[in-house]
Amino acid sequence: MVGDPIADYLPTFIRFLLLAAVVVGASTGLHYVLRNIFHLRREIAIGYSLITPWILGFLIFSLGPIIATFVLSFTDYNLQQTPKFIDIKNYDTLINKDVNFWPAIKLTILYSIISVPISVFVSLMLALILSKKLRFIGVYRVLYYLPSIVPAVAVVLLWRWIFNPDVGLLNIALSPIFSLLGQTPPDWFGDESWVLPAFIIMSLWTALGNNTVILLGSRKGVAADLYEAASIDGATTFDKFRKITLPMMTPAIFFLVVVEFASAMQLFTPAAFARATPAAGRFMNLLIYTYGFQQSRMGYATALAVILFLLILAATIVLFRSQTRWVYYEGQEK
Amino acid sequence: MSTTVTRTSASPTRVPWTPPRIRQAIGKAVTYLFVSALGVLFLVPLFWLVSSSLKEGNHIFDQPVEWFPASPQWKNYPDAWNALPFTRFLLNTLFVTLVPLLAEVFASAIVAYGFARFAFPGRNILFMVMISTMFLPDAVKLIPTFLIWKQFDLIDHYDPLVLGSLFGGTPLFIFLMRQFFSSVPKEIEEAALIDGANVFQTFTRVMIPLIRPALLSVSIIGFQGHWNDFLSPLIYLNSQAKYTMTVGMFFFTGGTNERPHWEWLMAMSTVMIVPILILFIFFQRYFIEGLTSGGVKG
Repeated sequence: MVGDPIADYLPTFIRFLLLAAVVVGASTGLHYVLRNIFHLRREIAIGYSLITPWILGFLIFSLGPIIATFVLSFTDYNLQQTPKFIDIKNYDTLINKDVNFWPAIKLTILYSIISVPISVFVSLMLALILSKKLRFIGVYRVLYYLPSIVPAVAVVLLWRWIFNPDVGLLNIALSPIFSLLGQTPPDWFGDESWVLPAFIIMSLWTALGNNTVILLGSRKGVAADLYEAASIDGATTFDKFRKITLPMMTPAIFFLVVVEFASAMQLFTPAAFARATPAAGRFMNLLIYTYGFQQSRMGYATALAVILFLLILAATIVLFRSQTRWVYYEGQEK
Repeated sequence: MSTTVTRTSASPTRVPWTPPRIRQAIGKAVTYLFVSALGVLFLVPLFWLVSSSLKEGNHIFDQPVEWFPASPQWKNYPDAWNALPFTRFLLNTLFVTLVPLLAEVFASAIVAYGFARFAFPGRNILFMVMISTMFLPDAVKLIPTFLIWKQFDLIDHYDPLVLGSLFGGTPLFIFLMRQFFSSVPKEIEEAALIDGANVFQTFTRVMIPLIRPALLSVSIIGFQGHWNDFLSPLIYLNSQAKYTMTVGMFFFTGGTNERPHWEWLMAMSTVMIVPILILFIFFQRYFIEGLTSGGVKG
């Protein structure tokens, strides 16, 4: 055995148990304080003490780091010296001088706004097809879901082969079409203008199964009596789809779009290992990693993280605002 | 032919082949063809992954593609496993997967129970805050979180990968379990309380068994997440002996003076997929339940 596993695991495990005791202690302590000092009702005291672990986690691992990110983004910090306040210089350098900045923004945004609608639309079609009474539906579901369980690292390497210009599966399959058009097949990750399509195709393969399963669940959740009522009223199949199926599925579609968009903007593992030509730009999250962890420019990297955060926040707000126009929630008049 | 069919009067095959019915049959055939073709398309890369893991390294990219290697190189598996300390990597991966999983499931159940069943001031606002953290990009937390662990001198220890789980894991877990707790009728708990059980007993003896499907869903999603995680071990672990399988595997992509060992990489990828695949096939329902409950009431 390489190294000493027990010596590596045991200290962590002891700290794990100690921290568990601290969390339980904080929780019961809070209960005692609320009951005996503030004389709150039993139900209220128990409620607060039960959610204590989350409150602590939120303060330490969400709120704290977010505030810290904003503060650090105004500093020069290389992990060795104490952070030095430099005003908005990081942002100024990023936006006006950094040659990597705009290509990264462009690539990340284009990738997100193209791949997410395609992926959600195709998943929706697939879910509708699969929701018909097909035989062996379980088999299809497993087939489509399979790519989602492959470790991302393996997925990228798999696709690096598929996209290989000379021996890759995709170009072998596409070569008849391209030779018919009198063109050579693309170099995908090696060609600036094909990097984006390559990433989109790869993301479709990985995300489609997952999204289809979610939408299929939502499709199955539509109550059958709605269709019966519509049939009695003489609705056609298309009417039923437009007026019942689609509206009832909008909450799931909305959920998917929001979650998928946020994760597309933060693409990391595929971006890091596709070895795509740098001429096409790098994904923002990869750039954050490069600046922060490879070049130890923590302040500069956090400024980029803040910009990424604001972009995702803006997109999420726009999406939530648009909700009233197209998302239908049951039990809500509109 | 017609005699045997007409005898079973309830059988749908008795319906005459009218134009709409023919159209329906064609539609169905097209549907099957389409979903099967797409299924094959999804399977091909994975099939190549497994078949490449059984080829000699310099024959992986041979054309035409040899889908079933004539002489399967089973030795790729032990070779890859021993080329780097994969037994150790497996233990490491299990440690950083199972310990946090246990804590996450338990802690998120407790928090979810609090949100589902106890009316306290600010409950809805806190719940909304919790949900909104689901949409918070990790990138914005990454560097300060790294600095927290560095402050405690715990870089290159497993603590950053393990300790955070004590606070309930991802918001999705809490959300999912709360949905399940909310669907349990209140009378069941009241009966337990009348029988003299305290909150802790009610929770462990009555509520936990009732939400077993949610516990399974969360466990499976959590297992998959930790098992396949790449970024966190990459950032926090420095010494090779401490690596997890995903990070170890990556060394097969080749270094400055070594050729990439694709066949080994494919072999180890296959090894990593197997446990998740088994979990998925046996607990398909819980995988799907976990995924869909997030989508139904977003």
